Amino acid sequence: MALLEETIKEVRTIKNFIGGEWVESKGVIQDVINPATGKLIAKVPISTGDEMNAAVKAAREAFPGWRTTPPVARARCLFRLKELLEQNFEELSRIQTQEHGKTIDESRGETRRGIENVETACGIPTLMMGYNLEDIASGIDEYVIRQPLGVFGIIAPFNFPFMIPLWSGPYAVATGNCVVVKPSPEVPNSQMRLAELIEEAGFPPGVWNVVNGEREVVNAMLDHRDIKGIAFVGRTATARDVIYKRCGETGKRVIAQGAAKNFMVIMPDCNVERTIPAMMTSFFGNTGQRCLSGANLLIVGEDEKFYKDFLNQVIDAAKKIVIGYGLDESVQMGPVRSKDKKERITGDIESGIKEGAKLRLDGRKGFKITGSYPQTCFLGPTIFEGVTPDMKIAREEIFGPVMSVMRAKNLDEAITMCNASQYGNGNAIFTSSGKSAREFQYRVVSGNIGINIGIVAPMAFFPFSGMKDSFFGILHTQGQEAARFFTESKFVIQRWL
Amino acid sequence: MKLHTASEVISLAKKLENESAKLYRDLSRRYVKDGDVFTAFARENEANIVQIERAYYGVITDAIEGGFAFDIEPDDYTFEGVPSQDTSRSDALDRASAIEEKISRFYYDAARQSDVLMADIPRAFRLVAKKRDNRRARLKALLNSP
Repeated sequence: MALLEETIKEVRTIKNFIGGEWVESKGVIQDVINPATGKLIAKVPISTGDEMNAAVKAAREAFPGWRTTPPVARARCLFRLKELLEQNFEELSRIQTQEHGKTIDESRGETRRGIENVETACGIPTLMMGYNLEDIASGIDEYVIRQPLGVFGIIAPFNFPFMIPLWSGPYAVATGNCVVVKPSPEVPNSQMRLAELIEEAGFPPGVWNVVNGEREVVNAMLDHRDIKGIAFVGRTATARDVIYKRCGETGKRVIAQGAAKNFMVIMPDCNVERTIPAMMTSFFGNTGQRCLSGANLLIVGEDEKFYKDFLNQVIDAAKKIVIGYGLDESVQMGPVRSKDKKERITGDIESGIKEGAKLRLDGRKGFKITGSYPQTCFLGPTIFEGVTPDMKIAREEIFGPVMSVMRAKNLDEAITMCNASQYGNGNAIFTSSGKSAREFQYRVVSGNIGINIGIVAPMAFFPFSGMKDSFFGILHTQGQEAARFFTESKFVIQRWL
Repeated sequence: MKLHTASEVISLAKKLENESAKLYRDLSRRYVKDGDVFTAFARENEANIVQIERAYYGVITDAIEGGFAFDIEPDDYTFEGVPSQDTSRSDALDRASAIEEKISRFYYDAARQSDVLMADIPRAFRLVAKKRDNRRARLKALLNSP
């Protein structure tokens, strides 16, 4: 099958984008490796705190002009950006595959999801409208207006290098704020290309800034008094103990999205033929590196035949997954992002074995890579049977292509098991019963619920929710909630004498 | 080798459309009397590609089963290209009709396999398949006219 052409053709040292200028960093330079081919594709700076401060200063200086730009004019910048993103859709998608390792279908899906947020933010003249009521007392009127706050920080993880900053960035700038984005240094190319297109779309200098780096720039962002809020996606420990805590201490607004351990609940009345591909996508899509991936497959009921048949079909389908470089169109699962991540996942598999789970499919060996690529970052799908809720592999996020199969006697027990998890991100039920689906939706404590959908990803005009240790904050990214997060409500009461 | 991913199925659809367009352009040059019909078919093929790509790029997300929705054997739908110079008009029309039947079957099969799993894509496939059914009726009518 055809291997699509790579779009990153030369190794560039990535620069920061500050105040409309591409600025070389003084920080140490780190390699960016294509996890499928093992080839060097870029060099990224680990910028300093001073460089973050310079970006915040540029954003702060751009803010007065940008916030007085009419919303409709700001929206037009976003419309131009949307057109540029469509024109460069394929290039943007292939960059993601090259730097992250995901398949081309997955990358295109990510590009589409990102663009949808830009589209939704184009409606900002409506989204940020206030409301009013005349005659709250005779001759006195009252109204609310929404105003931008200033500068916001966006801290992105490695697993969706293009899309995740777009869950919040377009709404931030559409409402009149300015942003500083910190991409993951593992996958900086997508955000660099996005910033180039933002520049081309005609956003004024300083409205959108990008600073590459790690902890030092995050700390600078958290400490900076001119940063009014932060949108973060990453590990729970960081979301809760660092971002949420320090935003509280410094009076910043915060959206902190953390980890997950999602249950896919299989009822005996599900449509098995349609559910199997959904399981493959949920557990092994994006090589399991997403906070909406299935982690625990919970098969409900005491019908042994159904249990065995369903599980055998899942295992057979997983064995057939084509593994390789995502630019090969036939590939269904790419590598994990790095050797370190592979080693961590392998460690989790070993922990499952030690705890007594039965390894039905071992992704550490015996899988075939399509094409000639180094094994370094590749893993096959792993399936454990006989997993109990107390096992580490049932409780903790693995962030890799590992399925833990569990059983519940009935739906009630299944819901109890879902709710016992510390996380509440994206749980789903597969059933043909409206009653079971309604019960699941009503009782499961999870920010996103799927009914016969294995990846519970909300569209741009709905909030990306999360509960328990999967989310810290009040308002969420995307849509109306994002528009509210990035604006302050100002109330006016008036009487003309 | 069977095709399983949306990307490779869309690529196959484009290949079939392009090859079929090439066939009709050739036929339009060879059989001038029917040239307008064949040229229209070739143009429609290009429109079909736009329609299919629009559906695919419009709905592809990781929430649907883009990597796991198909089980297509491409050899079942391949066809020989342009008929040779000495092929009679009626043989050429027969050949075109057989090709249309194959391509139509590809779209119906792909739509059936990906139903529910691929959002708007099966619908786009069925629309194109239906156009091809109409084409076969047109080709039959041409065959019956001198």
